[in-house]
Amino acid sequence: MSESQYKVEVQGLTKNFGSLKVLNNISFNIKKGEFVCIVGPTGCGKTTFLNLLTRIYMPTKGDLLIDGESADPKKHNLAFVFQEPSALPWKTVEQNLRFGLELKKLPKAEINERVEHIIKLMGLEQFRNSYPHQLSVSTEQRIIIGRAFAMNPDLLLMDEPYGQMDIKLRFYLEDEVLRLWKETGATVLFITHNIEEAVYLAERVLILSNKPTTIKEDLEINLPRPRDVTSPEFIEKRQYVTDQIKWW
Amino acid sequence: MRKEHEEIFLSEYERKELLRNRIYGVLPVLAIILLICLWFAASSNPASKFPSPMSVWERYLKILEKPIKDLGLMGHIWASLKRVFIALAFAWLLGISFGILIGWNKKANALLGPIFTAFRAVPPLAWVPLVTMWFGIGEFPKVLIVFVGALMPVVVNTQAGIANVQKEYMDIGTIFHANEWQMLTEIAIPSALDAIFAGIRNSTSAGWMVVLAAEMLGGKSGVGFLIVRGMDSGDYPLCLLSMICIGVVGYLLAIVIQFLERIICPWTAKKSN
Repeated sequence: MSESQYKVEVQGLTKNFGSLKVLNNISFNIKKGEFVCIVGPTGCGKTTFLNLLTRIYMPTKGDLLIDGESADPKKHNLAFVFQEPSALPWKTVEQNLRFGLELKKLPKAEINERVEHIIKLMGLEQFRNSYPHQLSVSTEQRIIIGRAFAMNPDLLLMDEPYGQMDIKLRFYLEDEVLRLWKETGATVLFITHNIEEAVYLAERVLILSNKPTTIKEDLEINLPRPRDVTSPEFIEKRQYVTDQIKWW
Repeated sequence: MRKEHEEIFLSEYERKELLRNRIYGVLPVLAIILLICLWFAASSNPASKFPSPMSVWERYLKILEKPIKDLGLMGHIWASLKRVFIALAFAWLLGISFGILIGWNKKANALLGPIFTAFRAVPPLAWVPLVTMWFGIGEFPKVLIVFVGALMPVVVNTQAGIANVQKEYMDIGTIFHANEWQMLTEIAIPSALDAIFAGIRNSTSAGWMVVLAAEMLGGKSGVGFLIVRGMDSGDYPLCLLSMICIGVVGYLLAIVIQFLERIICPWTAKKSN
């Protein structure tokens, strides 16, 4: 395999369920350390797309490469943040953060170090020994985000992680995820239906079409950070993406 | 967290609410008092043979002085409890393992599930004739019958808990690439623990019921034996006294199990604390 400049390459990804065409020939690349958002109308096959990436489904055609090799959850390090907060209720915050690392049977010292790092980054010290049900939804979501970053993933997939949250919380967690992304240099693929969120977070926004889903546009967002959601440039980008989604 | 010594201002409404909540502490006591009053009323008619609270109390004092078959009341209760505990230990060990096996492994379930379902429909007491034929009327057959009675609820609940793990928890396992063994031990079993505990609760009460029935069929000790003894000799206060003991012990057992569950599964405690 040749050295590819891309971390992730998606080549002609197609998925049919019987006669239902869900994804049609999706191709794009993600550079190492890039933050990419995918936006699209609801029901446009975002979840199917994700399930293909995580290999819960296999594609009908096409493939997903990580570091030039066909993605294999056993070999590559994919981490995932779900739409619904789902920390394991029988584990404390710290045990939840350790969970993925322990499954991978990393050396204990390494686990301790990474978990401490994440606990500090996410300000979870005081909740270390709490169970998820004792925490607010936002704190629980922080555990899940922390748990994903702790894996030092090749690719971090986030599926509308803030969909259910109020606006203040969302802003807060968006900044949190940006901070983690910069600190860890992770490659992030963030799926959302919230256009403002996408424009705020991403270096690149991929706009999806209705079913059968293709990539309608691959849009660079080169606004400086921290971004101001009220600046004319920001609003212009946001409006542009909105029009792209509305315009069939 | 509210500080202990801080003065708390309560509005009229809040004070009323507090008062209303206190009623929940009072109501159980009220029910017991009411029951005793009813008991007095029911036994006051001399034509009824129903033993009065006084006669039960006297019977209680008498058994303290004059043991039955060398055992006092506590001795008989302990004799019954011992059988239950031994049977429960085996029932939990075997029941949880078997429940996990048929809950997790589809082939094992297909192979053993139907037999087990049919087996489950047979009440534990129906085993008495066969068990008596094989093992006589010693200690072992009683424990065996209790074991059979206590096994079912554990297996059923464990199997249900393991087979119905919430998909989102399994997904977490998948995402972190848990292997089959890790899926079982790290995800399925912990998430099924509350179901397993429901089985343990049911099996304890079932075991406590079955031991009394098993003891009524023969033996020289246990609370069930006391009831038969009372019946045979027309000693109805003894029967009633035994029944009260059964109720109280059953209640205490339930509390112990609840306490155990709190310790082993602290995460099932409600958000309110």
